[in-house]
Amino acid sequence: MANAHGAHAADEHHDGLGHHISPLSTYFLVYGALLVLTVVTVLVSYAELPPAQSIPAAVAVASVKATLVAAWFMHLKYDKRFNIFIFVAAIWFMAAFFVFTLFDLTSRDAVMETNSHYQFRVDKEEAAQ
Amino acid sequence: MSVAAEHGHEHDHPPYLAHHFFNMNQQADSVKMGMWLFLVQEILFFAGLFMAYIAMRYIYPGTWLSAAEELDKVMGATNTVVLLTSSLTMALGVRAAQMGNNKAVAGWCAATLAGAYGFMIIKYLEYSHKLHVGLLPGKFFSFEGLEQNAADAPQLFFSVYFMMTGVHGLHVVIGIGVIVWIMLKAMGNSFNSENYAAVENVGLYWHLVDLIWIFLFPLLYLVR
Repeated sequence: MANAHGAHAADEHHDGLGHHISPLSTYFLVYGALLVLTVVTVLVSYAELPPAQSIPAAVAVASVKATLVAAWFMHLKYDKRFNIFIFVAAIWFMAAFFVFTLFDLTSRDAVMETNSHYQFRVDKEEAAQ
Repeated sequence: MSVAAEHGHEHDHPPYLAHHFFNMNQQADSVKMGMWLFLVQEILFFAGLFMAYIAMRYIYPGTWLSAAEELDKVMGATNTVVLLTSSLTMALGVRAAQMGNNKAVAGWCAATLAGAYGFMIIKYLEYSHKLHVGLLPGKFFSFEGLEQNAADAPQLFFSVYFMMTGVHGLHVVIGIGVIVWIMLKAMGNSFNSENYAAVENVGLYWHLVDLIWIFLFPLLYLVR
């Protein structure tokens, strides 16, 4: 079984099942990157950016961190393709859930206005100031 | 690969190989796929809470800007580092299990537990402060120091905050339970380089708890 992975560097090991065992340095590198990104996201928050910039920035940094954890700590990088598929499919469905619910949320004001009902997005004016 | 791999039932196979699997490889892959299916269920379950966050934030943008000021960034950041560190020790525990080193597995589990308890202690300090000053969900909200407009609804921010961090905290508590279980098994020399699926799956669960916090922390504490 291990022969199939013979191309790996000498410091990479395999267990009894032929699964990949990452060298210690990989774990510490990933951990270091996670700490740096945590500092980055905290520092960005002190820049007092408006939400339109701070939310995408925070989500982007968090996504990179999540990718690091999933790929190396959770071994997805070396895992069966099918497990990667399960994970990515769930993220895709989560995104679809968010997007379609946002279609509803963002179109309500217009609908309410036409029907002269209550204002849905209550403190929009105050926030815009 | 062991003799038990390609054979009928008369041979002895390791006690940890269930009889409905052909070999350890097949068993390990099946168990891990089952774990991943459970984990994505957890992701989709938390997606509902994140959607609540998005919806409330969209409807009450002003509330979010003012209410989030009441959260302690330093405590949130400290907890992030604590949880990331415990994720590292858990990953190292799984690595030790892959190499069949039970003693190291138990040690890394103990380190991970220290992180988990640290996280809960900091969470407790945060919660008790909010309880004390009345930064609470729904009708229990009684905090007076918040500068707010008539249309603001800080009680909703704290409903979302307590629901998301509360359910996440519950996962940490469950994590403590399963890591203790793994630690005790490792102390009884239960794992080897062929049989470590339990350690691996507990590790995956713990990393998922970390993964969710990676998003909770900036969205609740940092983004104003």
